[in-house]
Amino acid sequence: MTQHTVPPTVAEPASALVLDARDVAIHFGGVKAVDGVTMEIAEGKIFGLLGPNGSGKSTILAGITRLVPLKSGSLTFDGRPYDDVPTFKLARWGMARTFQTVRLLGDLTVEQNILLGADVGRSSGVSRRAAATERKECVADVIDRTGLAKFVKWTPSELSYGVQRRVEIARAIVMQPRLLLLDEPVAGMTKSEKLEIAALLSDLRAQGLTQLLVEHDVQMMVDTCDHLYAMNFGKLIGEGVPADVVKTPAVQEAYMGKGWRADA
Amino acid sequence: MSAWYDAHLILVQATFISFLVALSIQFPMRMGVFSFAGVANYALGAYTAAIVVVRSDEIVSPVVSVGAGVLVAVVVSLILALIVRRLRGLYLAMATISVSLIVQVIAFNGGELTGGASGMFGVISDLTIGSVIVVCVVAAGILTWTERGTLGRRIDAVRDDPELAVSMGINVNRYRLVAFVGSGVFGSLAGGLEVLLRSTISPVNVGFSLVVTALTIIIVGGYRSWVGAAIGAVIVTWLPFYLQAMERYQQVIYGLFVVVAAIFVPGGLLGIADQARRRLVRRQLEHEDQEAAAEQDAGGAAVVDAVGASRKEEAR
Repeated sequence: MTQHTVPPTVAEPASALVLDARDVAIHFGGVKAVDGVTMEIAEGKIFGLLGPNGSGKSTILAGITRLVPLKSGSLTFDGRPYDDVPTFKLARWGMARTFQTVRLLGDLTVEQNILLGADVGRSSGVSRRAAATERKECVADVIDRTGLAKFVKWTPSELSYGVQRRVEIARAIVMQPRLLLLDEPVAGMTKSEKLEIAALLSDLRAQGLTQLLVEHDVQMMVDTCDHLYAMNFGKLIGEGVPADVVKTPAVQEAYMGKGWRADA
Repeated sequence: MSAWYDAHLILVQATFISFLVALSIQFPMRMGVFSFAGVANYALGAYTAAIVVVRSDEIVSPVVSVGAGVLVAVVVSLILALIVRRLRGLYLAMATISVSLIVQVIAFNGGELTGGASGMFGVISDLTIGSVIVVCVVAAGILTWTERGTLGRRIDAVRDDPELAVSMGINVNRYRLVAFVGSGVFGSLAGGLEVLLRSTISPVNVGFSLVVTALTIIIVGGYRSWVGAAIGAVIVTWLPFYLQAMERYQQVIYGLFVVVAAIFVPGGLLGIADQARRRLVRRQLEHEDQEAAAEQDAGGAAVVDAVGASRKEEAR
């Protein structure tokens, strides 16, 4: 079904793509949840994916992480095609994600939940002891940066929603991923919490972490992302510089209504 | 002690065997696999061990006869795991109960090999209760290891949120396979050891009532850890014995006890203990929180004082 004209094996130095999703289609019975979407996620940038509810954002994320099968299209991660690679292997290759809803393990403490991410077996060629020390340092560092130090011994149900979401993000970061997929990480957060998360993401980008951010908050997308994709009814309706994309009539109509202005 | 022990030997044996039977269902349940194949494995372990002992001309070591049962059960468990790999929840429970009932039917109709409805007798061996206890302690030791640290967390993830687990790099299917194999090992150990202790086995011993017993143990004790199975095994084995004084009310009280446990104590007795421990930890954390806040306030006040003092000096 792949009908791309670009030869898939050409390794151009200019296209250091972390993720290359080409002509991806995901159908549920007769419903075309995602219908021919191409996304090229380049290294070290924050990519945004914007779209109204039901536009197929989360579905394409599920497709990219191989939680749902593709109807057609191809997926490449760091130059490796992975159309038939199981999800758990992708995590070991360096693909980390957060979910739209908080999915922490209720019986574990915050620290244990974060450690779950650190446990992901990524072979790094160092001795076990060195790896354990490194892991411990990484966990301490992430806990510190996400401001969770005072919550480590608490369990998720004892904490506020905003803190729970931060634990989710911390758990994904601690996997030390190549690519971080964030499914509405700031949904339901207060303004100041959102700014904190946005600052954290920019901070991670400065360290070279590639990110794909799925979000509803237009202002945050414009402020945070380097490149924006806009979706509706399973298709891309715009892509490019965030501030420009949100100004295009198609995006305005699909997403914001006609009264919204990006520079307002 | 010795007199008491001799009088209660059967119950002591039953406690340890029940513990292993419960593990054959609790172990997969901890990984989110709702399988009752443990009872089929019990039957396979018991009958295989019995057949090996009875058919052999020489005295067979328990290691060999029980080992043969474990081997058969593990092979069957692996095949079963492949067949039902797409089933979850209630459907898996039904399928595995059916497997247990099929094994029982085979035992009934096995003719000379299984002894048919009357079962098998004269399964003589030199197995002692001491060896059974050693097996249980080793099992508990291994399970303790699986309940801690990285492995413990991963098993929690596999059970509570398989989709999250695969996103965290955990091969959930492999854990499910281990769940079936573990059920095979624990169930067949229970069956093999029990048949050698009691020297007899019949199809009535491997039926649906064993499923109910195992489930009761787990519900009363708690399914989160082998400790729950141990607590449950003690209660389910000994409570009816002490309720004998109640005569005809015995069954009613026992039934009520189980119902109350199922409704009001979903995590079993172990769950109550865990909750109490968590409450203590929480109180401690809140206390620390308050202290930290108070300290901060005091620190802040000191700063304000210092600023105030310097301002006063400036004013002079």
